[in-house]
Amino acid sequence: MRPHELSLAAAADAIRARRLSPVELVDSVLDRLDRVEPHLGAYVTVTAQQARRAAREAEHEAAHGRYRGPLHGIPMALKDLIDVSGMATTASSRVRAGHRATADSTVATRLNAAGAILLGKTHTHEFAFGLTTPQTRNAWARDRVAGGSSGGSAVAVASGTATFALGTDTGGSIRVPAALNGVVGLKPTYGLVPRHGVTSLSWSLDHVGPITRTVEDAALVLTALAGHDPRDPASLPQPATHYRPGTGTDLTGLRIGLPRSYYFDHVHPQVEAAVRHAIGQLEALGARLVDVDIPMTRYIQATQWGLMVPEAGAYHEGSLRTVPELYRDDVRVLLEAGELMTAGDYLRAQRSRTLMRAQWARMLEEVDVIAAPSVPTTAVGAGEETLTWPDGTVESVSDAYVRLCAPANITGVPALTVPVGHDPAGLPIGMQLLGRPLGEPVLLRVGHAYEQTQPARALARAA
Amino acid sequence: MPTAELTPPEAARWAARAGLVLPAERHAAVAAVANHIHSVVAVLRELDFADVPPAAAYRAGQEEHHAAA
Repeated sequence: MRPHELSLAAAADAIRARRLSPVELVDSVLDRLDRVEPHLGAYVTVTAQQARRAAREAEHEAAHGRYRGPLHGIPMALKDLIDVSGMATTASSRVRAGHRATADSTVATRLNAAGAILLGKTHTHEFAFGLTTPQTRNAWARDRVAGGSSGGSAVAVASGTATFALGTDTGGSIRVPAALNGVVGLKPTYGLVPRHGVTSLSWSLDHVGPITRTVEDAALVLTALAGHDPRDPASLPQPATHYRPGTGTDLTGLRIGLPRSYYFDHVHPQVEAAVRHAIGQLEALGARLVDVDIPMTRYIQATQWGLMVPEAGAYHEGSLRTVPELYRDDVRVLLEAGELMTAGDYLRAQRSRTLMRAQWARMLEEVDVIAAPSVPTTAVGAGEETLTWPDGTVESVSDAYVRLCAPANITGVPALTVPVGHDPAGLPIGMQLLGRPLGEPVLLRVGHAYEQTQPARALARAA
Repeated sequence: MPTAELTPPEAARWAARAGLVLPAERHAAVAAVANHIHSVVAVLRELDFADVPPAAAYRAGQEEHHAAA
């Protein structure tokens, strides 16, 4: 196996044992990047020279017995909403022309301290306000969407041009592209990972989290990211925690909620079959399946929009008045129309969220994890705007991709997407595991147990 | 639920009240998207909120998280 194909955990073990140097790993990933990036368009900026220099420093440290932990010498990418001092944070938007971050975001600081090596910044749907990331192509089929908004990060990880990456998730923007590109994505509990220095889409819905090749890798990255930062007003005062799951696969006694409503409605039959098969694997590991009814499903989209649209409008209020022509059309019209929403609309959404959180908390007293599809369909063709379901219902692609992800953004519960197979066209399918607030250890344990029952996944092949 | 759709000139006027001057060629598109957003969020009016506060209620002093609830 070539170094760029290694999972983070495998690369870390090799670096720690001095079987692999950070220089070899970074060189391998940059060589891969040179070959495939022209076909995929995952990156806004590649910092190869700095990455090679950092790799030499990491190698020097390792040679002198200074090992920072499992991220030591691991090459990674950051979604280009995440500030790195001295670099532009473009948000993949012309609005940010000439931008230069004056300080590191909290997550960039923490990854740097943990020894990770920045390879570059990855594309987002403009300002994270969309689900396709049109600049980037799917890692499995170039004529399909990457998903979004963290499309560049997911494609980089899936194609071997970053060993891991960070994304942000306001209505599924980590989980959607992770699922569509066959990699793991974790939206942590609201407030677990500080957002200081990360461009906001919607303050009350935004999360930062890892996109990785395995669940174990996501746990290793989360360990470096999590922890209180008073500069993010939503940050939780959590002590440092090690999230790496144990090796056991026994799920005896674990109660897995199987939604009777919502999560399997208007879902492509191949997606449903793959997810139900994976849930069967969890049952075979000892978990007990418990039917659950998802509360307030009629109000999920209304609550998500009622929160996100006015908050995004508030963030962009200034630039929408000074440089509106610099936004792409799809984002500009949403921001403009969002200005016409009333305070009553927004407050109803916030009150609905209070109700929804309480009802989800009650539901999550009955089960430990909920298992469901991450997205209702695999990656659609680039340029497709709607889906038509067998009952004749027409749904926009962005509504469909947000639909099963939004509840975790509204309620703040953690949600993990894990690859569970491919459709007949070879496009990846993701299973979503949702847990109680701060229930990441349970999600990671279940996801890791599932992965251990499956053969190791290869890199995407579209490139 | 009956809702009053905004016409393009009304959308432009509402935007102007919000301090956003829209060029004439954008009035129709903005009105259409605003009406769609309204149709999505208006469903929240069905809920009986009674005394339920908004989730963003302010907490002074030491933050307590209720994540284990």
